[in-house]
Amino acid sequence: MTPRGASVYRWDVSIMAASISGYTFSSVCYHSANSNSDHEGFLLGEVRHEETVSISDTQISSSELLQVVEVHNHEPCAQLFSFYDYAGQVNEESLNRILKDRRKNVIGWYRFRRNTQQQMSFREQIIHKQLTQLLGVPDLVFLLFSFISTANNSTHALEYVLFRPNRRYNQRVTLSIPNLGNTSQQEYKVSSVPNTSLNYAKVIKEHGAEFFDKDGVMKDIRTIFQVYGALQDKVQSVCGEVEQSERVKEKVQEEVNKLKQQIVLRKRKTTDEERRLQEAQNPEPRLTPEENTEPPETSLLSRVAFHTPSTPERPGPSANPPAYADLLSLQNDSLLPFSSSPTSAALLPRPQAVGSPGHPSPSPLGLGLSAGPNPAAGQEDDEEDDDDDSSEYENLVSEVGQLPPVSASVLLQGRPAALSPDGDASVRGSQT
Amino acid sequence: MSPEVALNRISPELRPLLCSVVRNGRVGLDSTNCLRVTDLKTGCTSLTPGPCCDRFKLHIPYAGETLKWDIIFNARDPELPPDFIFGEDAEFLPEPSELPHLVQWDAGDPECLLQLVKELIQQYHQYQCQRLRESSRLLFEYDSLLEDPNYSRSMEIYAGHKNSWTGEFSARFLLKLPVDFSNIPVYLLKDTTLDPGEDVALLSVSFEDAEATQVFPKLYLSPSIEHALGGSSALHIPAFPSGGCLIDYVPQVCQLLTNKVQYVIQGYHKRREYIAAFLSHFGMGVVEYDAEGFTKLTLLLMWKDFCFLVHVDLPLYFPRDQPTLTFQSVYHFTNSGQLYSQVQKSYPYSPRWDGNEMAKRQETCKAVEPATIFGPALPRQIHFISI
Repeated sequence: MTPRGASVYRWDVSIMAASISGYTFSSVCYHSANSNSDHEGFLLGEVRHEETVSISDTQISSSELLQVVEVHNHEPCAQLFSFYDYAGQVNEESLNRILKDRRKNVIGWYRFRRNTQQQMSFREQIIHKQLTQLLGVPDLVFLLFSFISTANNSTHALEYVLFRPNRRYNQRVTLSIPNLGNTSQQEYKVSSVPNTSLNYAKVIKEHGAEFFDKDGVMKDIRTIFQVYGALQDKVQSVCGEVEQSERVKEKVQEEVNKLKQQIVLRKRKTTDEERRLQEAQNPEPRLTPEENTEPPETSLLSRVAFHTPSTPERPGPSANPPAYADLLSLQNDSLLPFSSSPTSAALLPRPQAVGSPGHPSPSPLGLGLSAGPNPAAGQEDDEEDDDDDSSEYENLVSEVGQLPPVSASVLLQGRPAALSPDGDASVRGSQT
Repeated sequence: MSPEVALNRISPELRPLLCSVVRNGRVGLDSTNCLRVTDLKTGCTSLTPGPCCDRFKLHIPYAGETLKWDIIFNARDPELPPDFIFGEDAEFLPEPSELPHLVQWDAGDPECLLQLVKELIQQYHQYQCQRLRESSRLLFEYDSLLEDPNYSRSMEIYAGHKNSWTGEFSARFLLKLPVDFSNIPVYLLKDTTLDPGEDVALLSVSFEDAEATQVFPKLYLSPSIEHALGGSSALHIPAFPSGGCLIDYVPQVCQLLTNKVQYVIQGYHKRREYIAAFLSHFGMGVVEYDAEGFTKLTLLLMWKDFCFLVHVDLPLYFPRDQPTLTFQSVYHFTNSGQLYSQVQKSYPYSPRWDGNEMAKRQETCKAVEPATIFGPALPRQIHFISI
């Protein structure tokens, strides 16, 4: 039997779900309970098909067909045998007389009989087959109601089963009634059953203009959509700004890294030169790292300017974030500019923290390192360097307070003593 | 539920229909029992005053099974025909055009429901025969029986459901055997406490598997026939031969049964002959005899002034089986206060003798018997005279 409509579905795979609105169900029950004999009628509603395609890692895709039957209304028959004869032959004229123009909405029929089994009877099966053909509904459903009473009539149970007899298997379908049950634990569901009442339509039309605009869409919805649109635009522009700032930051970062490299190289160079110089003056080699580093430090400091683009021969101290332990161990060294002893401080030029007041902010570094209070500079340094380099700056910041300001040309060279001669090995900063 | 109770509870308009079903309703081959009605319920509201039952379960014997069909009327519309639920046979869907009593349902005719049920049973039989197609072997059995006019119209077949575990398919054939019981002496058939109904012999053959390797035949006789033939112990039908088929086996059983019936009839006539001969020989010496069944005869005889009684018991399968002679003394008592008697079976006898011959032989042997039976206590000079 080919289904109505253009699509061809796979019968065996589809599952059926059925629902009936609460008021329709109660209306059918009311009619049935009040009749003193068996009772029958037609179910009106709609059938829709939903296909769910699920994709998982193991399969490419699997689709599940769900056929949803919704009962909106019912048309009771006034008496038995009103559209069929003793042999169960359905009379189409009588059928039309009962259904009138609602014939196209018929999705099934129902029967009520007391104290009988939940099984389709002989005549019901015959009628069902004929109705399926006459109404052109391939999956016509049959709803069977039954009242079962106990012997002393103290308890009556209403049983209902929905059948789809045109299937070979799985003939019984669960019928759900929305909001019939324990609603304290569930939310009240609004079903998609449209309200076909004329009165309702009239009232809504009258008062609708207050809520709906000319297209029939609720005004509030439109407003909300506008808000949503505005938010989206805002987000878009912010995205743009973020992108830009990210690019700038990227550029700045590159430059910083380049400069660091230069510093390191220059430092190395200076250290080498000083050593040579010393060797030339003093035949005995001086091996104390602090002594070794002392003279180069002077020259380093004097030579290296913050904004000099020439590649340093030795890595600058800024590129070697000293371990805190190193700092502590070298505190005794009078040559350290960080030490609190005034003599050491006096010997060496004071390091200048990045961004300290009075210090000119070189353009290549951009905003991050421009003039501003030290903490701010320090903070900005922090943000830019997320590795060991940042700790170098932090130390600088913390020590700056103790040191007198130095010349503008000197920057970032404050800790020569902490450096090992071999700048490369101690370069821990990432030359990004 | 007894028929009376059912009739009391059913709605008055439907009572005549149900009456004919429970009182006279016999459908199918096994008509020893009427149709039974249970589970009377009502389709009216519970506030309706009774009796208002209009739906019930009907138990119908068929091919050794009992079909339980729900019949649904409506007490408010008693002129409307009923609806049916065929129990477990959910796939049985008869064609309404084959049910004339449904199409032209006449609520005024009390027999209408019964006739409708009979038509449904016929359709059900067709449906079962259709189901036999699942097994070619059983289908063959059915077809071969169908060709034989003796059995084709008196056959009920129940094709069981295929056992989903073993895949086994079983079926039962119930056949009415065309044996003529009309000549069985009436006295034999009268002697039952049950309502005899029709005299019928049914052969039930159960095929437990589709390949006919496990076949269990059983013979069912109506109570009067069973009694007439000497009880269930007297009848042993042969086992179903492996590899055999019904069309050969059934006539065999038929023949066996017919022979038995013939024996019984013959026996009756032979006994009658025997008694007649004894009567003519011993005339006045006859005390009493069974004039209906000719099974017993009592003679009072004298031998050399010694009187004694001779009871002759003629068995059912006389003359095949030898009559039993019981000699009873008229003088002596046993310790328990009974007349002294002794049973004699070993005396010259041949089933081929006719009544007269037997009577003559009995005469001579009776001359010898008393002496040996009653012992030396008897006076020697006893001569045999008839009194």
